Amino acid sequence: MLDDKKDDIFLSRWINGELSKEELSEFQSHPEYEHYVKIMAGADALDLKSYDVEKELYAIKSKRSLKKSGPVINLWPYFAAAASIAIILGLFFFGPNESFSTDYGQKLIVALPDGSEMTLNAKSIASFDKSNWDNNRTITLEGEAFFKVKKGSKFTVTTKNGEVSVLGTQFNVNSHHSLFEVNCFEGKVSVVNNKKKEILTAGNAYRNLGKTYEKWTFNESTPSWLTNTSSFRSIPIRYVLKELEDQYNIKIVEKGLNLGYKYTGTFPNDNIEVALQTVFSTLGIEYSLSQDGKTVVLEK
Amino acid sequence: MSNKNSTCDEKKFDRFFKSHAKLLRNYIYYKFGDLEQAEDIVQDAFIKLWNNCSKVSLDKAKSYVYTIATNLGISITRHQKVKFKYQDYVIRHKTDINNESPEFIALEKEYMQKLKNAIADLPERQREVFLLSRIDKKTYKEIAELSNVSVKAIEKLMHKALLTLRKKIGNI
Repeated sequence: MLDDKKDDIFLSRWINGELSKEELSEFQSHPEYEHYVKIMAGADALDLKSYDVEKELYAIKSKRSLKKSGPVINLWPYFAAAASIAIILGLFFFGPNESFSTDYGQKLIVALPDGSEMTLNAKSIASFDKSNWDNNRTITLEGEAFFKVKKGSKFTVTTKNGEVSVLGTQFNVNSHHSLFEVNCFEGKVSVVNNKKKEILTAGNAYRNLGKTYEKWTFNESTPSWLTNTSSFRSIPIRYVLKELEDQYNIKIVEKGLNLGYKYTGTFPNDNIEVALQTVFSTLGIEYSLSQDGKTVVLEK
Repeated sequence: MSNKNSTCDEKKFDRFFKSHAKLLRNYIYYKFGDLEQAEDIVQDAFIKLWNNCSKVSLDKAKSYVYTIATNLGISITRHQKVKFKYQDYVIRHKTDINNESPEFIALEKEYMQKLKNAIADLPERQREVFLLSRIDKKTYKEIAELSNVSVKAIEKLMHKALLTLRKKIGNI
């Protein structure tokens, strides 16, 4: 009954009063029964030290305002001048542009004016012209984002590495430094890169890295980073290190590692210990994380 | 970008804090074993939520603070083995305890000490589940939602926790 491998939730059911009459009376006549009753009685007498919610909230608010008040006081004499400059710059340079960015380890879902959806991965910037959206569905991207596009006029994502345009579909664009990767999850997209044009249908991916161009197929229906996993397919290790840095806000220090070494694998975006271990143990690299959790040093 | 669900709204932020902070503190304490540290972690997690309020909507806020707090706990305890400080919790004073004989009270005291020790020695996940259930009176379903696993997994952990405790305590 207790050590029965088939019933590995027996005691949980007992606590919840879910045992049948027969089961319960059998258990009650078991010599172990009173010991478990005592454990439960003891455990139910335990309590935690009290928690002063108001005091804690007050502490948070004072810490919060501490951070804010510094620069405001310093800048006060220049405030009026600075404000007017900002407005003028805004009028001339930014126009009605809407811009979104994410920091280390963040994701951001943006609803676009037509109901299309953009999800930004960590350390990415995207902007678009809100006022002219109906005529010109164009987004400028630096970093990585996943798009679910409502059917309509041409939808274009511009990056410094190339352009992706579609009519209505779901696709992922990753443009970091000279890496340019597009995965099409639904419908059809056209990719223009270095004056070459590629048409991708659902389940097809395209990558340009320096002088190499690759195409392959995949089965996933959404990019893995949406569910907090970064995954890589035969990619130079420098991009894996970069992604670790972007997801966890860490600095990776390496000495003489071959950054061109190809890596295939995944790591979680919500558990730094597991992530570091997964990546570096498979590569046979020893690493150490600094006390403050900000720096990872790789040993050869 | 302001919307109804924003955690930037001070009143909503306060209400959210008041309804979630205590359980988060307990949860982090059960995981990492230091109550004072758990309270600091909770503060830091909520400050981080406030600083990023435009990016975290109210319905995402709970899993956000749990993730941040857990990660903070991991990064703090990374270099030391977690030592569960059981002196951080107390025994509730039962009203009927005065009716017992002095010997019985002494035995109870000894027993409770043993029990606390045994709980401290539980594997992290078993302890977490056991204490969320006993101290915070959370249902298996609620515990499962906190740690993103199935109810069945929680029931197994609870069963295991009791078996482990029983073994540790022995016959007293």
